[in-house]
Amino acid sequence: MKVITLTGLATAALFLGMGPGAPTAARAQDAPNYCVSCHGALTVERLAAPVARFAQDVHAAKGFGCVACHGGDPSLAGFTGMDPAKGFVGKPAGPQLLQVCGRCHSDAGFMRRYNPALRVDQVAEYRSSVHGQRLTLYRDTLVATCTSCHPAHAIRPASDPQSSVHPLNVARTCSVCHADSTHMAGYRIPTNQLERYEQSVHWVALSERGDQSAPTCNDCHGNHGAAPPGVDWVGNVCGQCHSVMADYFAASPHSAVFTRLGVPGCALCHGNHQIQTASDTLLGVGEGSVCSRCHVEGEGGGIVAAAMRVRVDSLRAAHGVADSLLQRAERAGMEVSQARFDLSGAQTALVQAQAAVHAFSLDSVAQHADEGLQIAAAAAERGHEALGELRFRRIGLTVSTGLILLLIIGVILKIRQIEA
Amino acid sequence: MSPTPKRDLMSNPSSSPNTRRRFVNWLLGTSAGGLVAAVIYPVTRYLLPPEVTESATASVTLPFTVNDVPVNSGKIFKFGSLPGILVHTPQGEFRAFSASCTHLACIVQYREDLSHIWCACHNGHFDLNGRNIIGPPPKPLEAFTVRVSGEQIIVSRGA
Repeated sequence: MKVITLTGLATAALFLGMGPGAPTAARAQDAPNYCVSCHGALTVERLAAPVARFAQDVHAAKGFGCVACHGGDPSLAGFTGMDPAKGFVGKPAGPQLLQVCGRCHSDAGFMRRYNPALRVDQVAEYRSSVHGQRLTLYRDTLVATCTSCHPAHAIRPASDPQSSVHPLNVARTCSVCHADSTHMAGYRIPTNQLERYEQSVHWVALSERGDQSAPTCNDCHGNHGAAPPGVDWVGNVCGQCHSVMADYFAASPHSAVFTRLGVPGCALCHGNHQIQTASDTLLGVGEGSVCSRCHVEGEGGGIVAAAMRVRVDSLRAAHGVADSLLQRAERAGMEVSQARFDLSGAQTALVQAQAAVHAFSLDSVAQHADEGLQIAAAAAERGHEALGELRFRRIGLTVSTGLILLLIIGVILKIRQIEA
Repeated sequence: MSPTPKRDLMSNPSSSPNTRRRFVNWLLGTSAGGLVAAVIYPVTRYLLPPEVTESATASVTLPFTVNDVPVNSGKIFKFGSLPGILVHTPQGEFRAFSASCTHLACIVQYREDLSHIWCACHNGHFDLNGRNIIGPPPKPLEAFTVRVSGEQIIVSRGA
């Protein structure tokens, strides 16, 4: 009974009273470390591998040793050092991991000494996540815990490109479970998220254009607090980056209707994991439009959708015509820089009109589209003038060259006549 | 004296007078062709418009003076055929950048309330070094060099 009490006290001291083990770990480095020497010599891969892997771990770099997470006494060889009475916990798993990791990572005072910018609410967030809820409420041990995403003994900072939680690697890390149909069989959710995400504009932006502000899994679902976005707040998630569209949408008649119908705002038209670059074909009631899923041609919403599409298409076409004219004139050496400068305003108006589509009001789109059409028309007129002037100059050059040639021929004939 | 000894000395049949004449003619013809091509090619290239536009403007003197841009304000100017923005920072410095947003090429503007460069199209923000700090712009604005000479402002690309 006394032994049990002492063991309990030692364990409690490790988890609660002693606090983080950094100073202990630092001192232990000077003493013999039987954890490393024994496990390093073992022939069982599962037991020996952590020794080699831990050399690259961020915790090793900060001076932490095995004892910081596993407890025990590394100065004693064999099972003497691995005595529960000395705080040895073996391989922590499930809810115990939250205690082991949270012992340091939830302690703001301690973490400040190593990484003052690092958040200390990971465990609290985790408990609110779908993973945490299933683990703590239903004892579901298949769900992700700390080491599922931050592999034990090989943890690197998120900024390290080799880290499992670097933005470029997050989707692959999540898919270890979420793309495994066997693992996910009991949860009745799809397993094709990674496949779809890797075809999305977001992944292209992140992986090909190197835009690390582009979202990966955790930007929409949260990381430690991972959960699917709710129907009524999916707009807030997308609105983190697409704020102008989110503002238009929030003030639109669709916002309240979608919430009432229980359909997700942005995702209804744009999808979720496989989001493509939004093109104008989504708008209107023609083929490929998303408006036509609910609205029909000739009916109230259909009329507005079609009218918005006409405005946007007209502006795009007018901009294209003006740009083409000015390019031809510029390549031919005509001075059209002012017109090209002015035409930048039409491009701005086009992008603003496309954003204003999310207000689902013709007035909002027309306000920008009409302004852009005026700019494009003025630029096109200047392009026509420049090309007209170019034609006039070329005709003048041809005529004058012809006259000069005729004169030369006449002179030659005259000389021959005189010589004859 | 007669040509016979010469023929004997040059016994190689490929060096007959006809062959040499053909070679000299070929040489002359090729040279003449090259000369004509050397004249015609640049003339043709000069007359035909280039496929791409000429290199962008390197420097402009702005059509307004330092007095027209108060502290903590910005002004759009024409840099070649593209828009630029001159910013008079709250610290009193003049800085200039391309005014085409790096997201979808909307024209950016200066937000006096934020002391930021801002793109209204998708709410992109750039700091006063042109760095994209908030929103969808994927990269910074191109920075120009500003030189103030008396009241005149000269903006140029590069150092």
